[in-house]
Amino acid sequence: MTSKAAKWYWGIPLWILALAFLAPFAWMLSTALKADVEAYKIPMQWIPDPFQWDNFKTVLVGESSVLPAFGRSVFVAVLRVAGELLTATMAGYAFARMSFKGRDKLFLVYLATAIIPVQLLLVPRFIYFQKLGLYDTLWALILPGMFTVLGTFLMRQFFVSQPAEFAEAARMDGANEWQIFRRIYLPLATPVISALGILAFVWSWNDYETPLVLISSPENYTLPLGLTDFVDEQGSIAPGLTMAASVVSIVPVLLVFVLLQRRFIAAMTHTGIK
Amino acid sequence: MRNEVSRRGFLAGMAAVGAAAVVPGCSSGGGATSNVLQVWGGVPAASGPQKVVDAFQRKFPQYQVNYTRFVNDDRGNLKLDTALQGGVDIDVYFTYTQANLALRAGSGLAADLTDRVAADPDLKVFLDTDQPRAFLDAGRIKALATAREPYFVLFNEKLRERAGVELPHEWTIEQFRATARKLTTARTYGCYTIPDVARIKLGPNYWYDGDRSNFGDPHFEQAFRLGREMIADRSAFPWREVLARHLDAYQQNSFLTEEFHLWSTAPFNLRYLYDAKKYPHDFKVSFAPPPTVDGGDWNGGSYNNFVMVNPKSPKADAAWEFVKFWLTEGSGPMLAGGKLPTLGNVTDDQVVTGVLGKEPDKYFDVDSFRRVVLGADPKLSTDTRLAGFPEINLAYRQQRDLCWLGEKDPGPAIRDVRRLADAAIARTERSS
Amino acid sequence: MTTATVAAAPAVRTEKAPGISPRGWIGFLFVAPNLLGVVAFTLIPLISVVLLAFTDWNLVSGFGGISFAGLDNFVAIAKDPGFWNAAGLTMVYVGVSVPLTVVLGLALGIALNRPLPGRAILRAIFFLPYIVNTVAIGMTWLMLMNPRAGLVNQVLGVFGIEPGWFASSHWALPALIVMAVWGGVGYCSLIYLSALQDAPKQLYEAADIDGAGLWAKFRTITWPSLLPTTIFLLVTLIIGASQGFGLIALITAGGPGDSTTTISYYMYQTGFQFYRFGYASAIGLVTFAGVLVLTLLTWRAQRGRALND
Repeated sequence: MTSKAAKWYWGIPLWILALAFLAPFAWMLSTALKADVEAYKIPMQWIPDPFQWDNFKTVLVGESSVLPAFGRSVFVAVLRVAGELLTATMAGYAFARMSFKGRDKLFLVYLATAIIPVQLLLVPRFIYFQKLGLYDTLWALILPGMFTVLGTFLMRQFFVSQPAEFAEAARMDGANEWQIFRRIYLPLATPVISALGILAFVWSWNDYETPLVLISSPENYTLPLGLTDFVDEQGSIAPGLTMAASVVSIVPVLLVFVLLQRRFIAAMTHTGIK
Repeated sequence: MRNEVSRRGFLAGMAAVGAAAVVPGCSSGGGATSNVLQVWGGVPAASGPQKVVDAFQRKFPQYQVNYTRFVNDDRGNLKLDTALQGGVDIDVYFTYTQANLALRAGSGLAADLTDRVAADPDLKVFLDTDQPRAFLDAGRIKALATAREPYFVLFNEKLRERAGVELPHEWTIEQFRATARKLTTARTYGCYTIPDVARIKLGPNYWYDGDRSNFGDPHFEQAFRLGREMIADRSAFPWREVLARHLDAYQQNSFLTEEFHLWSTAPFNLRYLYDAKKYPHDFKVSFAPPPTVDGGDWNGGSYNNFVMVNPKSPKADAAWEFVKFWLTEGSGPMLAGGKLPTLGNVTDDQVVTGVLGKEPDKYFDVDSFRRVVLGADPKLSTDTRLAGFPEINLAYRQQRDLCWLGEKDPGPAIRDVRRLADAAIARTERSS
Repeated sequence: MTTATVAAAPAVRTEKAPGISPRGWIGFLFVAPNLLGVVAFTLIPLISVVLLAFTDWNLVSGFGGISFAGLDNFVAIAKDPGFWNAAGLTMVYVGVSVPLTVVLGLALGIALNRPLPGRAILRAIFFLPYIVNTVAIGMTWLMLMNPRAGLVNQVLGVFGIEPGWFASSHWALPALIVMAVWGGVGYCSLIYLSALQDAPKQLYEAADIDGAGLWAKFRTITWPSLLPTTIFLLVTLIIGASQGFGLIALITAGGPGDSTTTISYYMYQTGFQFYRFGYASAIGLVTFAGVLVLTLLTWRAQRGRALND
């Protein structure tokens, strides 16, 4: 099989599957352009009639515009991602490639803390953060997000599969531990770091429960809390506006994804399995 | 090239850690010393509360009020509870469900308002215990209802006339069923769902019988059976659709698009019926009272939207001033959201234009509104016994769904409710 | 011959890395920033969860309202049919959705690593479900899975199957599983993709020279090198699936009946609706123990595998 033919041989079924994956998004987009009364109409109406462009206007520049919350979400996400990348790569590397007393036991204890259901943590965290003076500040969202177990876990699993010989050779040449990490292993990790960057961004971006309990002033709302402006006092969600805001909120994450995932390709000169 | 992203990441991370170390120090400034009255409620500010606040500030320029909206669902209420418990600066807040009311009042989160109410002749009606408008905890008033929420049955006038059905001034549940059947057509179900049969017959605290639950009363099983039969003969909306489309939250859409006819609902849903731009429709709506059940004539509605004062508030007097304002002269703007004031301090005409919009005659049969909502004095049933309330509520809803989906027969379903409710009551009473 | 080459695959012998650092404390320095952060912002509040499991507390009564309950909560759990129902549902949910997501994610990751027409767009499309917020996902799938008129049943109707999905106590859990797989496949393929970039090229070249087939190369080279990643995915997906309650709260609220009341949603009901925080914490602790056992088993599978190969 020529490589060109192989490309399409795999490509066609994947694109068909991709279209199936896209159907829900087509519906989201359609709902974002509908009047509320049309949204739940049966049979499903894929083409809005009329197009309710006002939904996007309301969401972007209306009284409860999501843009300020949008900005805060970016701020929170950027700091969380930066902190996570920094601390998780170092810790993950050490748990995988350096040796110290009780390393593996410590790691398992570490992993165990990620298993406690997050929802149970909400109330204790509220009490604790209030004592720290962090309640109703964005730092209540940023700080816990900068130091995560899962990010460390991901990095560890990557570094564990890297050969130890590089380090031994470098050590012979007189490199210190930081240099070995920084110059040899870290560059190898570019694809995984990109992946973690994307994930950490998404985790931060869509976090609803933490800000719900830890933030009270609308001036500190992040995007998921901003969406509650489109829920009325009976608890029903305004479908058109919520979808419009959701569509808007996907854009930056997609951007981050597209930018970072190019790193995969950049890091790749050989196509792996043929 | 390849290393660039990580280097930048590292620098940003360093900066973040540095900043984080500095910030907690600066952020602890805001706190309980603020002079602003903090009010937390579930109604979005734009649907009335902001206007009440503005009017209050005009009358009392010495006070400043900040209204914070919380979403009135489980997690939104958790947010309020943690904030109250954690000593966040809140002076006045609202409670919408009976279970939360009991919990907050019983846990010292609500100031005792008894003396203030007793001292004020305008508020005398809150001392009435027959149809309580106040929530009492151990004989002391802890919360005051701001809204009166009678239930009624709405008719689509266009379809009603076409079917040649009389608008009832009073009717029984059997007549309700017969009417729904007459109104059923190929494209419109007779009604959305049935009124709360047991509530109409039994009134307040209908879930409780001594220290046990009351689900042995035949009217509960009757309700399950009636709903199921009406769904089966298409005179009530198929429950499968109700669940699959979350119609509980979006009944108005299906009423406006004539998917069903009779709509048993309350004033807060009227705001969808005069909004020509967002909810266009070409028929008028008329009002009938809820049907009676075996001579029982309790209205399924209640007094609610309770306002409470935080006992930790350092501004108790200002807080009370605000509460009183909301209850009395300030209640007007809340009409737009369908909140009829507890105290009869607005004129009928104000209510009509407030609740039915600027052109009431265009969208409603106003005579029937005056007759059913303003003229009659419906017997509202506000629960005061609340042991295990959320557990019972859940069990009831779960079994009703199974029954009306046709997965479980009415008898076994209600027996399961009874079993679960008895257990919940026993456990709550034991632990309190 | 192939197997001989492959025995040198790096993933295989690295789990028990020998002491490579001459000074042990440097390792601690590397771990310290993350470790201190986790201790300060997660571990400390977490301890109170453990303590609360031995109390009766309704939150609104404050610290004064906490009463010590000893092991009462755990005794009550053992006798609570609601808990056992939830535990069973969770096992089905986790047991079906997690392996399915990983297998499909692996297939997708490998496929997306090949030269494809519009590959960058394809990668974005499959990752898209992971990005969208819960509310939008819930609203969308509710419509797609409408039993009468939803897209899913329009397609399935061709084959004569029309499940009731969220309006049926038999189909609601499968519906949630479908959604979980749809949402998680992109996550798995992203991580597999990143791991595949690290594939040992020399080994593939050597295998090519040996004339090894696709499957042989996958089994002997790709799979062993992806093992640590797979462990990561299994563990995180198990944790995620056993903790997730946002979508359930939004779409089914645990119903119809209690057919989608998984452990995490049951805990949510007990804590946030019934205000029994002590009991909810105890349920959390029991769940924790269960998931921990699963995690350790997965962990050991990795070790056993690595040593035996």
